[in-house]
Amino acid sequence: MSEAMRAAPTKPNRGYGRWTPLWFLAPAVLTLFLIGIYPTIFALVTSFRRYNITRPREGFPFVGFENYVAVLTDSTFWSSLLLTAKFYVTVLPIQVVLGLIVALLLHKPGMGLLKSLARVTLVVPLATTYAVVGLIGRLIFNRDFGVANQFLSFAGFGPVDWLSTPGGAFAAIVIMDVWQWTPFCALIFLAGLSMVPGEIEEAARLETSSKLALLRHVQLPYLLPGLTAVMILRSADVLKLFDMVFVMTRGGPGSATDLISIYIQRVGFRIFDLGTASAQAILLLIITIVISRLYIRLLYREVQ
Amino acid sequence: MKRALRICASVVALAAATATMTAAIPVAAMADWLEDAAKPLKGTEINGIFLDRPGYRAIIKLLPEFEKKTGIKVNYEIVPYENAREKEVLNFTSRGDLTMALVDLVWIGEFAENGWLVPVDDLAKDKAITDPDLNLKGFFPLLLDAFGSWGGVTYGLPFDNYSGLLFYNSCKLKEAGFDKPPATWAELKDVYGPKLTDASKNQYAYALQSRRGETQSADSFMRFLWPFGGSLLNKDFKSNLNSKESQTGLAFRQDLMKYMPPGDVSFDHAEAVNALAQGQVAMITEWSAFYSTLADPATSKLGDCLAVAPEPAGPAGRLPALGGFSLAVASQASPEQQKATWLFIQWATSEAIAKAYVDAGGVSGRMAVYNDPDVKAKYKFVEPLVASWQAGVPEYRPRFPAWPAISEIVAEWGSKMMLGEVTVEGGAKEIGTRMEQVLGKEGYYDGKKKLLQ
Repeated sequence: MSEAMRAAPTKPNRGYGRWTPLWFLAPAVLTLFLIGIYPTIFALVTSFRRYNITRPREGFPFVGFENYVAVLTDSTFWSSLLLTAKFYVTVLPIQVVLGLIVALLLHKPGMGLLKSLARVTLVVPLATTYAVVGLIGRLIFNRDFGVANQFLSFAGFGPVDWLSTPGGAFAAIVIMDVWQWTPFCALIFLAGLSMVPGEIEEAARLETSSKLALLRHVQLPYLLPGLTAVMILRSADVLKLFDMVFVMTRGGPGSATDLISIYIQRVGFRIFDLGTASAQAILLLIITIVISRLYIRLLYREVQ
Repeated sequence: MKRALRICASVVALAAATATMTAAIPVAAMADWLEDAAKPLKGTEINGIFLDRPGYRAIIKLLPEFEKKTGIKVNYEIVPYENAREKEVLNFTSRGDLTMALVDLVWIGEFAENGWLVPVDDLAKDKAITDPDLNLKGFFPLLLDAFGSWGGVTYGLPFDNYSGLLFYNSCKLKEAGFDKPPATWAELKDVYGPKLTDASKNQYAYALQSRRGETQSADSFMRFLWPFGGSLLNKDFKSNLNSKESQTGLAFRQDLMKYMPPGDVSFDHAEAVNALAQGQVAMITEWSAFYSTLADPATSKLGDCLAVAPEPAGPAGRLPALGGFSLAVASQASPEQQKATWLFIQWATSEAIAKAYVDAGGVSGRMAVYNDPDVKAKYKFVEPLVASWQAGVPEYRPRFPAWPAISEIVAEWGSKMMLGEVTVEGGAKEIGTRMEQVLGKEGYYDGKKKLLQ
């Protein structure tokens, strides 16, 4: 009976055809094209044109690689890029280490309610708008009535000119970025830790009392995909970090916090030289893609 | 005797009635004229951009009166100064919905050269929509020239008007043995500076808003060029920053820093005003528009200690900071909207509402209102303000389209100078080289562009 049923020809489903998957995919692809692909193509085309919208009478002619040559020979572009790299290599290790510590603490058994509460509070900095983080930063690091100097005074230190000295301003934006993004690292690592099979972890705990060995040999393989994701997302994020720094320091004092995104915004929306700004943005895109590929090649490992 | 008394009383009553009527005539005439002119435009909507500053809050307070009289709806968006130009440029290049341009003194060249503004002469030709008492000569000539005109053509009427003024704490000065403010910059630094500064008590003589951005370039850097005989550019549009006079001014600013609070280089307007309002510093040089903030007990502890004087003079005389905004009709607006916008601009900058505008917290560009004894008595800033607008340099900051690019260069290297990261001479040279590159690219050196600033 069952053989007969299996052999019977199935009726064609009228609601499903060859093109059905396409219709389901189409809205997502179209949206992606409109908000992602089209602006990128537009920026690419603009990067080959002289395109200053405050000089419409001069037209927008194609100028080949002129904008790219201008960017690559611009010392301010390189110094801003270098500063951004310095910012990235300063914030990322701190965020990874602190994030890992927080994740390991939350992964420990017991105190369920408190841990749930802690998990929720971790989302608060992530959900805070960048500009608001900048405003909070300006208040925290105010020399005369800021909380940062208040804490330092408890420890017997004199007031620090956070936002008006190059070192202080750089430290201030680092601290605010660490505050905002450490929870992100913690949540990603926590997700990684929850992937470790319980029996393996228990067995490992019986084998060794060293937490470091447990982390190194059992938990780390599950954390690496998350770490790769953190590094890719954070490098893209640092390259476009703008609002928080602009609100706190506007890239100053001097050029102490003049990150690449602040510089590109200035070229694009103060001078309105969109050709040069697009060339800068395309170069940044290339850098991001190269860095991401490197991370994936060097760090990413599927857990066996 | 009784008859004589009655005659006297009648004469006095007649004189009083005449005086009242005379005072009321401009307002009444304005009302009649405005209502007639607006009849065909009833229901028209006009759009503009305002800032979150006292002058705009003042006109917003008075706006219902205009809308009631004319039936024209005024839509406005309040944006921070830093975003205002960006918003307007994007709107004008994309043929957006703005019918009115808010023009900062340093944007007039760019907006006018791109054809984004309608010249006042073109609008004033239509008598049906032009105030019979428009009286362009009633504006301070410096303001009309600097804020509203480019290449000899007037595009905008001065609306939100500033002059740099010396705001000071008269009580602190008195305690230190001074019964008047410093008359010169040298006096401020050498005589007042040491006596009013006591770092151990967190007390300083002077604060200068110097945060990177337009604040550094316009309020800090340029402030020390003109009074010392220096300037940004020479007559050939080459850098004049390494001239003896410019160097003297910039070195003076550097030297003055020892009497400024730590962190001054990151001070914006809010921080400088607050430092005076809360008693940390004794003097600041700020825009006249901040008078209402300093006089308001909710935001300032100064009370009767608040005093105002013109900015100190330098070796080249008193050449205070000059800034402000005009309102102009946007050429992208429809003909009806252009007419309605023109009516609004005339009303907002008219002599008829000037007193109400000042009372609401604005600073009018009309000369007549400052002759009013009430206004003179009520607002301490009037006398120094009027004195400051008698003479000045319209190109205090160059108003050509290249200014935003140059301002960025000045802001970066000007604050590096203050921090001691570069010497005054080295920084000036760096600004000069970069500025000349920008101007060369703009076509000022190959005769493509007139040397207008």
